[in-house]
Amino acid sequence: MVREKWTDIFARYLTYLSHLVPILKETKRTVQNMSLEVMMDIKIFDKIKMDEEKRLVKRVRALSEFSAYYRGKVFENIKNFIYKYSEDLEPIDIKDYLIEFFDECISALQILINITNPDQKKLNSTYLYLLYKYLEDLLLPIGKNFEEIYMKLNKTSVNWYECQRYMMIPHTYYRETVDNPDFFEIPGISPKLYQIINNITSLYNLDPNYYPCPEDSNIEIPVILINDVFEAFIDNIAHEEQEAIEKICERLGLRVLDEIFLAPKYDFIDVLIKNDFIRENKQSDGKIRLIPQFSNETLILSYLAFVSLRRGFLSKELINWISMTFAFIIFSTILKCQLSDHNIFYPIFTSLKTQEKVIPYMMKLLCFNNYLKLDRMKIRDSVQYRKEIFNFAGSSIDCIKELILDLSEYLNKIRKKNKEGV
Amino acid sequence: MSGIDNLEWEKLLTEFSKNIDRSIKKLEERDIDNIPGAKQALIERLKVMRDYFPQNNGDLFIKSINEKIQNAFFPKTKDLAEAFERIIKSRSHDQDFIINELINGFISSRSKTIALNVQGTVIDRLVEAFSKGPDFQIVDHQFYAMFSDPNKARKYVKESLQDLVDLFGLEAKELIVEKDKRKSERKVYTFYTFPEKILEILEGEYVYTDEVLGEKMVSEKFDKTVFISLFLANISVHRDDLKKIGGVYTVNGICNIFSLIFLISLMPKLDVDETNPILKDPSYDSNRMSVIPKSWMMKEVLLDLLEPLIKIVAYRLGGGEWLKAIDTTEVRRKIHNQTRFILKDINRWILGELCRVEIDIFVSIGSIFAEVIVDTSIED
Repeated sequence: MVREKWTDIFARYLTYLSHLVPILKETKRTVQNMSLEVMMDIKIFDKIKMDEEKRLVKRVRALSEFSAYYRGKVFENIKNFIYKYSEDLEPIDIKDYLIEFFDECISALQILINITNPDQKKLNSTYLYLLYKYLEDLLLPIGKNFEEIYMKLNKTSVNWYECQRYMMIPHTYYRETVDNPDFFEIPGISPKLYQIINNITSLYNLDPNYYPCPEDSNIEIPVILINDVFEAFIDNIAHEEQEAIEKICERLGLRVLDEIFLAPKYDFIDVLIKNDFIRENKQSDGKIRLIPQFSNETLILSYLAFVSLRRGFLSKELINWISMTFAFIIFSTILKCQLSDHNIFYPIFTSLKTQEKVIPYMMKLLCFNNYLKLDRMKIRDSVQYRKEIFNFAGSSIDCIKELILDLSEYLNKIRKKNKEGV
Repeated sequence: MSGIDNLEWEKLLTEFSKNIDRSIKKLEERDIDNIPGAKQALIERLKVMRDYFPQNNGDLFIKSINEKIQNAFFPKTKDLAEAFERIIKSRSHDQDFIINELINGFISSRSKTIALNVQGTVIDRLVEAFSKGPDFQIVDHQFYAMFSDPNKARKYVKESLQDLVDLFGLEAKELIVEKDKRKSERKVYTFYTFPEKILEILEGEYVYTDEVLGEKMVSEKFDKTVFISLFLANISVHRDDLKKIGGVYTVNGICNIFSLIFLISLMPKLDVDETNPILKDPSYDSNRMSVIPKSWMMKEVLLDLLEPLIKIVAYRLGGGEWLKAIDTTEVRRKIHNQTRFILKDINRWILGELCRVEIDIFVSIGSIFAEVIVDTSIED
């Protein structure tokens, strides 16, 4: 498979979007030029649509199908709107509303089209880069080492922990294997693994044993029994996880000692102390006992920090899920910022048909070096897969909704600043 | 209550008192709390529970389980629409977390539990599917696209769909096309939607009919609450027929979760020292959170408490049938053991302390108990 270049992907990203603007502009002009009486007779829209479809334009089939779908939806929504409000609103108001809706959509599309540029000129002022950077700090920060990333995550987790956790649990987790022969590959967290992490957190807080630190005999580190973690799982249903415990530990900042204990890694202990997740207790024999006081996020953030640090080694599922989450949030933010909630064309943008034409390319763009730095070759192109994940793209998840609102406020600020600059 | 029923109930109450004594004894032997007075507060609370709950033929149990848990989650009626209406009116955002845990199923029984391997996000996905689908219904193909596991044969996906349909009490409608466009073959499409009576309740607030298209559309308010309520209503109405509600796994799951909720509600609140780092942690909200004694979570203490309580909850909610379904094998201890680790997204660990978030159900069960204690002490 050829590694696609930025210019190739960006061109594909624009393909569908650039067909939407003329349709909207044309229809807006048609509505503007119509007399009120003509406009209120909704049959006229069927006629216009038919005429439009008859026009011979040479395009590839997929494009013409999409344009037909889009035009059809636009006209359908206009007709419905006129029919619904013909008794409550004056025709002139209906017309004004329609024009306002068109303007909002055109401006949203303009942002989507101008989100970046083919040669990545003035990168620091492009919408894609600015929005991505804002999200990067909250969800997947970069840093020189594990500690720096963990510190950044812990700072933002107060408000965004749920989003951070959401991003670590891909909805196609059943395709992953925790015990991949490739030791370096990092999969997402499955719901079962999430329960295991919860167990580990609880056991550290409730029932830690203490063990001499292999690296420093003056320190006693907290350990828990691996068997205790898996005791609750009947019928060997966590067998795979139990077998892969070493790999799981590596991702959580833990290690296996004497084949029976789980203990924090020596480097991780420092990070835990700095974040108050471990306190030091000097004992009468002069040794320092490290007492764990974990929070729900302690180990999940460790996993996330590990993912962020080793983002070159993520599993296919995780790469798709992370880039999809970023792309979905950015796409939804632009819509949220530009379209009013009652805009009749909103559902067209949020429909699966539109999303699957825009988001996959945005996902690939976001994988480039100035952004997520993920392996874009692993982004799936299968229609079935897109349906599977986009059908569930986070719109009904409260924390993602909040993040979209937050980011749209930021986008408003950027736009305001840009206008002032002009 | 008939004579036999009364005997059974008395037996459960006696078992509860005995086990609570055992927990107190174990608690006295160990101390894992680092908050001064925490252990003592817990022992006092357990003693009060032991003394008050079995009194007057377990009146306090009947009141708190019947009035708070049953009325809000499993109303006693045979009419699905009535149950649904009562549940949806008493739902709150926080309580939905509990049910989410319930739907997610117990990890130990995950392979056999209610929604097979599609739990977890099943409700969120269904909300999306119904919101995006035409005329407030989903078609089987849409379901396969969303839930199918490519590693499993279609047969399993179909079974999984049927499980979900049963779980939520959805209704199937068929559309037969004599010649489909692609192959000119006869094709049967199956649509799933809500029962007619439920739709009537949803109409207006959650769903509306578009005048132009004549199609049902979802309103802004339509969310997972609707499915959660339908799930609970389905269990309430079919509580006597275990097959219809997912079998013994569902019963064990429900009783485990609600007995845990019951216990959490009754845990004493602790005042932490003002120098305690938890107070400085930004995720700790002192207005709606309280630290609960860590020693309560000790395996030795909690398992003894949970065992009789799970049976009591089962008996009160589903009678003898549910009581029989409570697992009494060696597996039980493992399942009970993991009960300790559920509801973690509600009761958060913050800097090593387990914090109870004051959601409605905890507050209301706790208040029944507090009222009785106050009343009794005034009488004394």
